[in-house]
Amino acid sequence: MPNRLTRRALAAGLALSPLLAPAVVRAQAEPIRLGTLTPLTGAGGPYGPAMRKALEGVVEAVNSAGGVAGRRIQLYGEDSQTNPDAAVRAARKLIDVDRVSAIMGTWASAVTTAVAPLCWESRTMLFTVSGADSITQLPHRGYIIRTQPNSTLQISKLAEFLGAQGAKRIFILAAQTPFALTNRQVLEREMPKYGGQLLDQVIYDKDKTVFRSEVDQALRARPDFIFLNGYTPDVTILLRELYRAGWTGGKVAPAYAINQRLLDSLPAEVTNGAFTWAPSPDLESPAFKRLQTLLGTQDPDPYSCQTNDHASLAALAIAKAGAWTGDAIRENVRKISQGDGERVTEVTEGLKLLAAGREINYAGASGACDFTDTGDILTCPFRYEQAEGAKLKTVRVS
Amino acid sequence: MLAHLIEELPQLIVNGLVVGTILALPAIGFTAIYAVLRFPNFTVASHATMGAYAGFVANVWFGLPVLPSLAVAFIVPAISGLVCDEYVLKPLRRTSAATGPMAAAIAAVALTIALENVIRFVFGNDLRGYDLPVYRDWRFDLGFAFLRVGPQQVENAAISVVVMAALFTFLAFTRTGKMMRAVADNPMLASIKGINAETVARLASLIGMGLVGVGGMLLGLDTSIDPLTGFRAVLTVFAAAVVGGLGSIPGAVVGAMVVGIGEELSLLVLDASYRTAVGFVAILVVLTFRPRGILGERAY
Repeated sequence: MPNRLTRRALAAGLALSPLLAPAVVRAQAEPIRLGTLTPLTGAGGPYGPAMRKALEGVVEAVNSAGGVAGRRIQLYGEDSQTNPDAAVRAARKLIDVDRVSAIMGTWASAVTTAVAPLCWESRTMLFTVSGADSITQLPHRGYIIRTQPNSTLQISKLAEFLGAQGAKRIFILAAQTPFALTNRQVLEREMPKYGGQLLDQVIYDKDKTVFRSEVDQALRARPDFIFLNGYTPDVTILLRELYRAGWTGGKVAPAYAINQRLLDSLPAEVTNGAFTWAPSPDLESPAFKRLQTLLGTQDPDPYSCQTNDHASLAALAIAKAGAWTGDAIRENVRKISQGDGERVTEVTEGLKLLAAGREINYAGASGACDFTDTGDILTCPFRYEQAEGAKLKTVRVS
Repeated sequence: MLAHLIEELPQLIVNGLVVGTILALPAIGFTAIYAVLRFPNFTVASHATMGAYAGFVANVWFGLPVLPSLAVAFIVPAISGLVCDEYVLKPLRRTSAATGPMAAAIAAVALTIALENVIRFVFGNDLRGYDLPVYRDWRFDLGFAFLRVGPQQVENAAISVVVMAALFTFLAFTRTGKMMRAVADNPMLASIKGINAETVARLASLIGMGLVGVGGMLLGLDTSIDPLTGFRAVLTVFAAAVVGGLGSIPGAVVGAMVVGIGEELSLLVLDASYRTAVGFVAILVVLTFRPRGILGERAY
């Protein structure tokens, strides 16, 4: 009987052939699809392009090293427009048409909140840099990982810093915002750990132009530190009022409120001594230094550092699982980012160790990348600065 | 409780008076335009901002002292107010006697947003401050309470009072001022007497927006300026004009004092975040008992 090649045999042969081919050939197979949803336009527009580039850098490195689980990574990018409506349409395209297993780099909290249900319903992993506490409180069943510290962590770090500065009696002047109350509660809970106490809080209407009486209320409580929990325009007025009132005690505000713009618009004697704090990339990390080279800047923004880590975490989780679904990433992301494994800061190094059957603990440009069960990071470095002569000087990064 | 009240009261009243004197200028500008043109010109928000920026350019870019800068803060919005009214709002007002003022008022809202964005386009979103030193407050011991008053605030209040006095003198004693009052009181009668209502209308826009501009700069002197400076103050300005009696210039001063002091005194019983509501509660209370405002709508 002549040996005839039937269509069935041919199909079976073709199906099996990738398993017999060497890794490089297999990397040419159907790629692993990952999505990016960074803000290329809108309020987040200044950050989006660098965030995307930081993601692409990781994917290029992985593909040059032969891919993950024998496959190349294909990146599908969409623009969130910093707009929840546009982001939902873009996410639908990424999930339904491009069939990505993870979406990385959502920036605005409103965007992340809008996109998150699409992700967990479709079992797609969502990596975000949004900070609102409410995001990880969504019923996401583990499909959200956030590299940005939430406001609870930020205020806890502030309390620790204030304690180190010897602050005993803190007063908060806070703009009327959704986070004012949470921040107060966290500071009230944390300060006693460092020997201090929260005296009280005045919530002001940030659209007023005069805050003399609010400042008087704060000073009557006889604090030694005042926390200005507002935005640049109102914090400008408050700093001026505090100076006029003869305040010589400590003052602290978020770094997005006391920034160079504010320092340029006020006389130096008004701002001297004011502290700021903000989440910081891990400046000493080799991953951060590589990102500096990749982006061609000495000072990559925190969001680019985080998306750089998003791509690394996704690639390593896929390698650990040997599968490239959203579920596989969800199940394995903590296995490669925390625990007793060998510490790695570079994705290809991690892939090699995983291929050798070793355990790893990834830490990237944004920090340790250790996550709670709800998807928040456990900790990250913070940068504390102090205004002196209309410039901010770094006090410490820890 | 009583001791606490006595201790805080003088300071709150002083703070309220200072706020009131500064708010009075834009409120007068708004109400003077209403008195003559009979429509609410909502471009006061952007013209206050424009005054603040015009003063900033004069003070910081050209190094002029405060008083000449205030003159610039008067002139630039005054001209802009005149041009806007002449080419945008007047044609709309004339479309129909019944709906014209409403159309002009709505167009003024659109215009103020457009002007605000022109300012944003030229100067950007950044905060800017005047080139002025910041002084520590003077402190007075009253025996039962400490009072603090800022030199800058006293200067601002004094400037505001001088400008108001000049305006009242102009309206009371000059021929042009009397013409303006005549048109505001009864346009028909004024026209029979040969007063050119067109000229008076232009003058009202010019002076009104000029005063709004000076008010904007005075607000900026005490704080910092950005493209939303005028917008932030405008609700209180409207409240002051309405409480005093829309169309009444002394009413605008009284209204500004009532709203200014009322907002400060409210801190005795309310959280600071509710301060803006006080202006509107004042409108509600005053209009319930005096539907035409505290001083009615007599222009002067």
